[in-house]
Amino acid sequence: MTALNARRRRILLTGGTSGIGLELIRRWGDRHEIVTTGRSLSSDLADILENRPSITHAVADQAKPMEAADRIAEALAARDWETLDHAVLNAGTGFAGDPASEDTARLLETLDTNLTSTMLVAQRLFPLLEKGRGTLTLIGSTAHRGAPGFASYAASKAGLNGFARSLREEWRGRIIVQVLHPGPTRTMMHQKAGLDTGRAGTFFTPPAAMAAMIDHAIARRVAGRRLSFLRYWSGESLLARGL
Amino acid sequence: MAVKRALITGASMGLGAAFAAILAGDGWELVTVDRQPHDNDDAHSSAAARFQCELSDPAEVTRLLEGLEQGEGFDLVILNAGANATGRFEAIDPDVIPRLVHLNAFAPMALAAGFANAGKLKAGSHLLFISSLSHFTGYPGASAYAGTKDAIAIYAKSIRKPFAAKGISVSCAFPGPLRTTHAERHAPTGAQAEKRMLPEEAAEKIVAATLAGKKTIIPGLGPKLFSIAGRAFPRITSRVMRHLIYDRLDREVW
Ligand SMILES: NC(=O)c1ccc[n+]([C@@H]2O[C@H](COP(=O)([O-])OP(=O)(O)OC[C@H]3O[C@@H](n4cnc5c(N)ncnc54)[C@H](OP(=O)(O)O)[C@@H]3O)[C@@H](O)[C@H]2O)c1
Repeated sequence: MTALNARRRRILLTGGTSGIGLELIRRWGDRHEIVTTGRSLSSDLADILENRPSITHAVADQAKPMEAADRIAEALAARDWETLDHAVLNAGTGFAGDPASEDTARLLETLDTNLTSTMLVAQRLFPLLEKGRGTLTLIGSTAHRGAPGFASYAASKAGLNGFARSLREEWRGRIIVQVLHPGPTRTMMHQKAGLDTGRAGTFFTPPAAMAAMIDHAIARRVAGRRLSFLRYWSGESLLARGL
Repeated sequence: MAVKRALITGASMGLGAAFAAILAGDGWELVTVDRQPHDNDDAHSSAAARFQCELSDPAEVTRLLEGLEQGEGFDLVILNAGANATGRFEAIDPDVIPRLVHLNAFAPMALAAGFANAGKLKAGSHLLFISSLSHFTGYPGASAYAGTKDAIAIYAKSIRKPFAAKGISVSCAFPGPLRTTHAERHAPTGAQAEKRMLPEEAAEKIVAATLAGKKTIIPGLGPKLFSIAGRAFPRITSRVMRHLIYDRLDREVW
């Protein structure tokens, strides 16, 4: 099932408690070693963790970037990991609404969770990824090109895109840096963001298919890519399943 | 005609001081926001009101907003304050990363949203963000900075329509290297200062384009061409930037 086959890998995945991250754990959980994070352990993830010592969860709230980076470093140290094959920085949040009345606290939470924390964690992981000749994958969004009703979220994802573009050059030859931009995916994110997707929601990519596309893009080490419904229907998810 | 009011963040030096000088010369009433009071500066001392604020601290930005929301509205708001951090990303002091995101992205976003929400941006007013030419070219050797400047560029793009509906025109400027002390500190050793544009010249072009309602402002022909190359050949341009900047880095500066 997983495009990352061949050998057992050490993977850090932020935001594995729900949505796309949870589906990535479902794909990888039987074959690889995983440390994952989130603000709390969800029951879905708890079910998967049962009888699987190869997957551990650490509480890390990325709205507090320095603390989150510390918690993640501790979680890796607790597993005695000094190298890492893959870091998938997927945790993210956002709030929809008119940008002219956006609350500054939410603006800060979006930037810190999605951008500041991701940068800080990437920096912490540098020695482990370098030793493991690993891959750093940032989960952006197709909104990184701009979104009037989701302005600070779009800005945070644009920040990830620009950061990855430059860091990829800096770390060339040592660590592969990629940024993947999922299109609308059928997770709880929109509901949490206060967005009514209406009937359009039925056309969103299922999270398991998005996880398959991400898995595939990581295995193929692409620099950056939009992962969308169109790609899904044009058969990339089948490819990713190894058909 | 009533005197027009402008707010400028980071008006004490470089591009911000140039904005202040131009507007003061044209008879604008200025409100400035700076980290430290700079009394000796001519243009700056003409400001009607000066606020002191460490803009890299979100709590101070929130307090500043509360103060400014009590005052009169603005015809022009220039969210100019910003800082760079150059060096290998893994070698930069981690404390600098949140400060850069907060100063370069959070502060301008919070001020824009806060002013709009409090009705401090008059109908027919202009809101100007300062991104960087790196938005089009990448900036290996300043990856965190590049991320924050992309964030602000896309924020400006995202709010353009909803703000236009309130009569507020949003512009974003993408200056290339300028002959400021800021650029001097971060330039690779041996880089030629004469090739960089004077902040006065850049400010003149940016203010004129902003008041004309232009949304994307790239001052200078060289930077314009570079931005086109960056959009047409992003990979190659990033490689060139690596060669021009990252491969010549000899120190970390923030
Ligand atoms: N769904 C879409 O349409 C879509 C489209 C483009 C991009 N994306 C991106 O894909 C990623 C995953 O989103 P999703 O759709 O799977 O949404 P989701 O179901 O809401 O999952 C978000 C994950 O991020 C974690 N997270 C959120 N805030 C956090 C914080 N402050 N600290 C630590 N972890 C935090 C959540 O864990 P806890 O709640 O346990 O903290 C959860 O595991 C996000 O980066 C999102 O921006 C989603």
